[in-house]
This record gives sequence, structure tokens and C-alpha cells, in this order.
Amino acid sequence: MPKKTIKFEIVTPERVVLKETITQVTVPTRAGEITVLPKHIPLVSILKPGVIEVKKEDDTLEVMSVSGGFIEVLRDKVVVLADTAERAEEIDVDRAEEARKRAEETKKNIIHKDDVRFADLSAKIEVELARTKAVKRWKKIKNI
Amino acid sequence: MANTKEIQSRIKSVKSTQKVTKAMEMVAASKMRKAIEAVLKTRTYANLSWGTVLNLSNAVNNNGQLHPLLAKKEKIKRVGIVLISSNRGLCGGYNVNIINKVHKSIQKHHHKGKLSEVEADFILLGKKGAAVNTYFNYNIAAEFPKLDAINELREVVPVAKMVIQDYLSGKYDKVMVAFTDFVSASKQIPRIKQLLPVDIESDKEELGIVGGDTRVGIDKNLVSEKQDKYLSGSPSVDAELENYRYNYIFEPNAKEVLDEMVPRLVEVQLYQALLESNASEHSARMQAMHKANDAAKDLVDELTLYFNKTRQASITAEIAEISAGANALR
Repeated sequence: MPKKTIKFEIVTPERVVLKETITQVTVPTRAGEITVLPKHIPLVSILKPGVIEVKKEDDTLEVMSVSGGFIEVLRDKVVVLADTAERAEEIDVDRAEEARKRAEETKKNIIHKDDVRFADLSAKIEVELARTKAVKRWKKIKNI
Repeated sequence: MANTKEIQSRIKSVKSTQKVTKAMEMVAASKMRKAIEAVLKTRTYANLSWGTVLNLSNAVNNNGQLHPLLAKKEKIKRVGIVLISSNRGLCGGYNVNIINKVHKSIQKHHHKGKLSEVEADFILLGKKGAAVNTYFNYNIAAEFPKLDAINELREVVPVAKMVIQDYLSGKYDKVMVAFTDFVSASKQIPRIKQLLPVDIESDKEELGIVGGDTRVGIDKNLVSEKQDKYLSGSPSVDAELENYRYNYIFEPNAKEVLDEMVPRLVEVQLYQALLESNASEHSARMQAMHKANDAAKDLVDELTLYFNKTRQASITAEIAEISAGANALR
């Protein structure tokens, strides 16, 4: 019996990050992390910054970081509309870590002054954290 | 006959103008290439997000509730028009075309029955759009600065926010966007699209799917395909899908998802319109400059011929004078 698959597509306004036939995908939604398998019920949800894990047909894993967006699940198709997304192998982990530290530093300094900036920075920290996490996860899988 | 010096200085000035137009043509060409790239990159996202909202609105429709940004208003009194134009001139009919198109479509509205009280407010993106006020006396509600190189969605967020707010507060009953659709490097079509309310009936007309140029890789069938496959119970789809399609789960809930998604869609549509306009602007400018360049070349040729003739005439006249003088002395 052929394996049941999902057509998976993740796009950002800038590019198509990944378009693959897969068997399962794990995404961080606002209500918590979910894993989608073939024949999932139609679902639409909001994503939060985090790590997306995709299992391809040949059982290899693909890891991506996402900074937010939406996921639409159809019967044999999953579409992720991400604000920004990167594949783990594309992320420079040192720079991501650095960017997060810098943002945290700035956040400490302005903590009582500007609400909008504070929120901006908090979001940025979350995104950078997601990127770092994605790389770590990917490295663990690949045993590097 | 004009003297040779005058002609020479004219040739010189035409040639220096030619240099300018040539340089502008090349700059426009390279900018156009980048702009086209940007358009293509966004198209996938725009198409997919439109498809998603289409699916959603159908699903939500069945529950009897409609998101305020999806609901049509019964009477249209005031229309907001986002007009995307260029910042600078020298781009042929680019600005004129889009402004005339807007003007005509407003007039059409006026003629349609007793709807003469429909008012239009303009939200400008690009400096040249101000002509709607100076020529046609339309009201300008806001003017946003437009950058020459657009590469981030962030740049349209303030515009999107403003129109959504104004629409929700009831200031406008309809929001349109007037932009120039990029079909190919030699063809751009001014278009007016409805931005708000998000009209699910106009799915084939929406922004992301445009033109017929294969070079820019357009997938016209994307949305209708999706609709066939997932929304209508066409015979090719198995029966299981039939009861499947209306049971969307929204997480955390429908309202929250649509609250985030629809404004996002409006942003993306605006962004796409802006990118299309940008690509169109640069190709229009490239074309205009190419024509100017050709015209300058012709003019230089003509003037050179005239210059040579004049020079020859003066030489002949001089020789005639000298020989006439010599003859007289003999």
C-alpha cells in the first residue's frame, strides 16, 4: 500500500521556502504545537515564532524556523503562509544568537520608556530564539 | 539659410540630451529587472493567501456570520481610492493612463442612475498622483511617500492600516486600489481593483493573478483549480470531500483567525499592487526613454545633413565670390 502523503508548501512574501510531498509536519500554532498527518481535518490556525519540522517521504527530516503567519490544512495539502521563514541549514547560528543578545540588551535599557518598542523587541527576541532553536534541532537530527 | 555655427550648437545640445535619455533607459532597464523579480516572488504568496481567504469566507458564510471586512455594504456613498503613481515624470503615459482610468470610472459611477452622490477620496502613493486634485478637483485624503525600491511588505502597512480603519469606522463604503498591471515589458494596463470589502466573487480578477505573459510565470488557474478541488463538489473529487469541506476548524477561533488574516491579505494585495505598479513604471520609463533616444538619433541625423548642406552652400558661395572677383580683375 502506498504511503499516505501531504502536499506541503511554505511561502513567504519574498519566496517559496519549501515545496515537497511529505508524510507529517509539526508546526507551532498560537494554541500550542500541533502535528499534522495525512487526512487531517481542515484547519486554519495562526502561527507563532518557532520551529517547523517536516518529515519527507523518505523519512528524512527538514527543519525550518518561522516568525509567524498562518497555516491552512486541507485534506491532502498543507499551506503555510509565513511572515518570514528559513531552512535550518540557511541560518547562521552565531549571528542569530548575537542578534538575540543584542535585542535583549536593548530591551533591558528601554524597559520603562517605550511600550511599542518594547513589544517590537520582545517579538524580535522570540523570532531569533526560534531561529537558534531550529538550528539546534537540525544539528541534533543530523548529529553534527 | 541659418549659419553653420547655430546648427552645430543644436546638434551638440541634442546629443547631450541623447546621452541623458540613454542613461535613463539603462537605469530603468536594470530597475525593471529587479522589480519584475520582486513581483514574481510575491505572486505565489499573494495567490495562496487569496485562495485561503476564499476558502475561509465560504466556510464562514455557511455559519451565517461574516467578518466585517468581508461583508458588503448596502449603500455606497463614499469610496476611498488608493492611487499608485510614480514619483517622477519622464515615463511616457504611465501616470496619465492610470489617472484617466480612475477619472473615467468615477464618472461612470456618476452616470449610473442616481448615484451621483458617490464621493471619492484619494489616498496617494507617489507624488505624481496629486494631479487628480489639480486637474479633476478630487479630494485627497492622504498622501504617503513612496520609495523607489520597494522590497518589504512593511512599507504598505501604514496605508493598509489606514484604509482598514477608515472602512471599519464607516468613512468609506468601499476601498479601491488603482494600479498599473504589469503584463510584459512592453505592455502595462491600468486597472482598478476592489480592496475592501474583500470580494469573494471577484476571485478571477484579483491582484495576484494577472496578464498572460509566460516570461513572468503566471498561474492563472491556481485559484479556480483550488476552488474546484476543495470547494465545489466536482465529479472528479471523491464523495468524502463533500462533507469535508465545510468543517473547518479554526484555532483559536474563527474570529481571531480572520481578524489576523484579512488585514494581512489586504496588505499583501496592496503590496502586490505596488510591486506591479513599480515594475510597470520602470518598463514604461524604459520604453519612453528608448523612444526619446531614437527620436534624438533621427534629429541628429537630420541636423547633420542640414549642417553639411549649409556648409557646402557657404563654401560654394565663397568660391563663386572669389572666382567672380578674379574674373572682374582680368
